[in-house]
Amino acid sequence: MSLQINATEQIIKIAAITLTGRLDAFEAPALRKTCDAFIANEFSHFVFDLTDVAMLDSAGLAVLVSVLKRARLKNGDVRLVWPREEAASRILKLTKFDQVFVSIEKSEIVPRGF
Amino acid sequence: MRIAIVTTHPPSKGSLNEYAYHFVRFLKTKVENVQEIILLLDELPQGGEYPSEQNQAQVPVRSVPCWRFNAPDNAIQIRRAVREVNPDIVLFNIQFASFGDGKVSATLGLLTPWLLKLDGRKVVVLLHNIMETVNLKSAGFGNNPVLEAVIRLFGNIITRFILKADWVAVTIPKYVEILESKYGAKNALLAPHGSFEEPTDAEPNPMPGGKPTVMTFGKFGTYKTVDLLVEAHAVLLKKHPDMRLVIAGTDSPNAAGYLQGVRERYAHVPNVEYTGYVAEEDVPRIFGEAWVVAFPYTSTTGSSGVLHQAGGYGKAVVLPNLGDFAELVLEEGYDAEFFEPTSSTSLAESIAKVIEHPERQQEIGLRNYTAANGLPITEVVDWYLIHFEELLKKQQPS
Repeated sequence: MSLQINATEQIIKIAAITLTGRLDAFEAPALRKTCDAFIANEFSHFVFDLTDVAMLDSAGLAVLVSVLKRARLKNGDVRLVWPREEAASRILKLTKFDQVFVSIEKSEIVPRGF
Repeated sequence: MRIAIVTTHPPSKGSLNEYAYHFVRFLKTKVENVQEIILLLDELPQGGEYPSEQNQAQVPVRSVPCWRFNAPDNAIQIRRAVREVNPDIVLFNIQFASFGDGKVSATLGLLTPWLLKLDGRKVVVLLHNIMETVNLKSAGFGNNPVLEAVIRLFGNIITRFILKADWVAVTIPKYVEILESKYGAKNALLAPHGSFEEPTDAEPNPMPGGKPTVMTFGKFGTYKTVDLLVEAHAVLLKKHPDMRLVIAGTDSPNAAGYLQGVRERYAHVPNVEYTGYVAEEDVPRIFGEAWVVAFPYTSTTGSSGVLHQAGGYGKAVVLPNLGDFAELVLEEGYDAEFFEPTSSTSLAESIAKVIEHPERQQEIGLRNYTAANGLPITEVVDWYLIHFEELLKKQQPS
């Protein structure tokens, strides 16, 4: 019997978003708009690099959680590169979303080996 | 998932009814996550019935009245109701005096989450205050130091029982830190209060025109008292004779007759309006007319729904210089003029800083509008649902 070849193409669109500065009630709308655009373009996997986020408040976290909720509805997910600053990681710990979001290393944002 | 919520809810006038109203208003829109909402409610007086209205496009909501304020057997009644409706998750929307103003009824009711855990239920408690930050005297409990010490001891014990729940959600960061440091809790989490209003593109209206109007909103007589505010109003009338003071709301269940006493004591002070109970449909007008919203509180019991509402309408606020409020302002991006909580002069000065300076009135109002819209309650509801999903995942065999 000759070889049967069944090749499929799998494309997972990952939005990698690097943030620098404060992510609070005043800056959150801009990030929300960016994420809305990705979701409208069928992105369901997101990586937020929070390494250089100086401060994160509940309104900023609300954007990340909103993306997580919508990503999960499309069988996607959200991963975070953990912030260096305590003022940014504090809200993740207080809300226990540090136990919900999967955290990754900065080096894992772009898959290696290709 | 099917969610049971132990709470008060309008038309009941019990404490936290308004929070429940808005929480459920948005929870029932989450059709992708929720199959049914069962409200385990306090019974209405004189055999009153909860209205039943179903919207086919929303999650069905069932009302099950099963407990009474001050009844000693609420834990048993709620436990029985939970067994009958058999939900996936039970959420409590409570504070320390939710089940009664008597020590026995209040304490026994607060054991309910623990009892449900013994039954193997998934239980989440939204606890709006914690004993460590409640001023027992001004909250209507305890008039002598020995009694206060005894109540605090019982409060500590009850807190440990409440912490038997899967998660205990609180609305102020400091509360999480107290539960973690004092009780070693690993299951306390912050779930911010959230704004009751939906995010809107409509412009807020911090400066509505008309007569200068100071408004205060709530259930009065315990830690929210208006005496100081009426005195501050009397001071301000000398400079602003057309100024109005609107006292919107009713007596606290723990302070029946308080507002009538205020009316009588301050009958000589003009331009004071008492609205009585404010129905939901009247809330936008009451807030809309205000130049500034005042918070004449002597202590706080959790995050302030009224502050979030004021923000939703883009209003300037004057807040007492109390730790919880200062933290809220810092954490959630609000702005305010602060006053010393025991000084009517200080309160009058803070109000004057707003009503005499339109640019400051505008600045505070717009900032509060942005802060309130940053975290509407519909998103807070999503936070709960995500935590619920995580809890339910844990019980599934892998």
